[in-house]
Amino acid sequence: MSEQKKTILVIDDDENLLMATRDLLEHWGYKVFTHRRGFGSTAAIDLVKPDLVLLDMNMPGLPGDRLASLLGSFAATKSVPIVFYSSNDEDTLRKAVSECNVRGYIPKGDIYELQRKVRHYLNWI
Amino acid sequence: MSEQLTSQGKKEEPSKADMTTDTHVGNLITSTAQVRPDVLIKHVADGFFTNAQMEAVALVDHRQKPVGLVTRNKFLMKLFRLYGYELYGRKPVISMADTAPLLVAAEERLDIALDKAMGRPFQDIYDELVVVDSKGFYMGLLSVKDLVIRQSHALANSIVQKELAHAKASELEKISQVKSQFLANVTHELRSPVNAIISIAELMQMSCEKGYIEQLKDRLSLMLSSATSLKAIINNVLDLSKIEAGKMAAIFEEFDAIGKLDEIVETGKVLAGSKPVDVILNAGQSYLPLESDPVKFRQIVLNLVSNAVKFTEKGRITVSVEAEGGHITVSVSDTGPGIKKEDMDKLFTAFGQIEDAKTKRHEGTGLGLTVTRHLVDLLKGSIWLESEWGTGTTFFVRLPEKSNTNQRSA
Repeated sequence: MSEQKKTILVIDDDENLLMATRDLLEHWGYKVFTHRRGFGSTAAIDLVKPDLVLLDMNMPGLPGDRLASLLGSFAATKSVPIVFYSSNDEDTLRKAVSECNVRGYIPKGDIYELQRKVRHYLNWI
Repeated sequence: MSEQLTSQGKKEEPSKADMTTDTHVGNLITSTAQVRPDVLIKHVADGFFTNAQMEAVALVDHRQKPVGLVTRNKFLMKLFRLYGYELYGRKPVISMADTAPLLVAAEERLDIALDKAMGRPFQDIYDELVVVDSKGFYMGLLSVKDLVIRQSHALANSIVQKELAHAKASELEKISQVKSQFLANVTHELRSPVNAIISIAELMQMSCEKGYIEQLKDRLSLMLSSATSLKAIINNVLDLSKIEAGKMAAIFEEFDAIGKLDEIVETGKVLAGSKPVDVILNAGQSYLPLESDPVKFRQIVLNLVSNAVKFTEKGRITVSVEAEGGHITVSVSDTGPGIKKEDMDKLFTAFGQIEDAKTKRHEGTGLGLTVTRHLVDLLKGSIWLESEWGTGTTFFVRLPEKSNTNQRSA
């Protein structure tokens, strides 16, 4: 399956969740890279050239929504599809999606939703 | 002053608190000057001369009912016209008095009395008002000028009251905003580790199904770490609500501060894990008796140490203790990133940044230091910090060596 060769970059400051997400995505057959800070994301994206970025919102220093706007403004990163992956409530996420140039959101804590939505966003691209 | 003319002078000034629009005029009587209606005009004129403070005098009959009013200006002006004194001097004062002065009941409200006074013909507007009791007996005189001043004070006062009420309302609104922001932040902070635990549990289930037992160990430690951070957040939230409800009490007893700090430093080493960070205790002695609450003491210092561990990527965390002048000072010093001056004040407030959770610039909830500060208060101590951006931070906690009371509520 071509889908299984897709590359996903996960950006999150919570190391435990980052590892768990990586393991889950790898289990589903994706190639996964992780990045632990908002800072340096542009370089990470440029290096990895992911098919999809899962981006946490609550990160110290550079929160996800600001980062998404930044990524959208750089030539190297603006075509990369970004999806928020966050523990915020869905109303907040919906609002953030409408304000930032991202494809959508996946709420943390429901791995079936994660599996379903990752597949959905990758096929959509 | 004529013996027939009596005046008891002014009453005491009412306090500012009385100056509201619903003040009764009975409380504002400025003079009780009175004279019988048959007293000769020349005696009343003498009275006005000898008593410069007297602006008016009421004519009160033998039953104590007011029957007229003479005011200084009108009376003297009339009298000093050519032949005035000659013509009127020997007549009774009633012949030159206003025989229908404005009477007001003692229970009348200040603003209503003033409305009545101001409703009179122009030439009478500033005439004194005669105050009578419920049976119509003479009580005293009210100065309209005085009433105007009082009323304007009352109005100003009510404007101030309104502004205060307004300020209070917006303060309350701000507090409620902070509280709901706080709730949103707490919700997010609680959800994060729960979500991590769920994901890890799912992974462990997959490992089990596939028989990859060796993966379980790694995932279990991840899960433990998430569960531990969840527990810390829950404890902080519970502690904070206990403190806010005034239910947090300190139980003072004597213990060895050095022994306690030793334990905390050992825990700090565990927390640092594989990070290249040394956690050391720097104490001049091996035993230091302290009369305080050992549980709260541990919580305070451990909180500072675990914060230092969290923010220090490499280097050293030093816990020091000094006893001096009936106090001990514990300091926790790190080689972390330091804290900017503008952020220092906000440190001890729950979610001090009061920012939207998704845009907050600082890691963690800010609950830990808020709880810590309250605990230090509870132990009658003080907490402060010194920090240099890029170099590190030192927190200081100063506590009394002995407690004078056995228990104290937050």
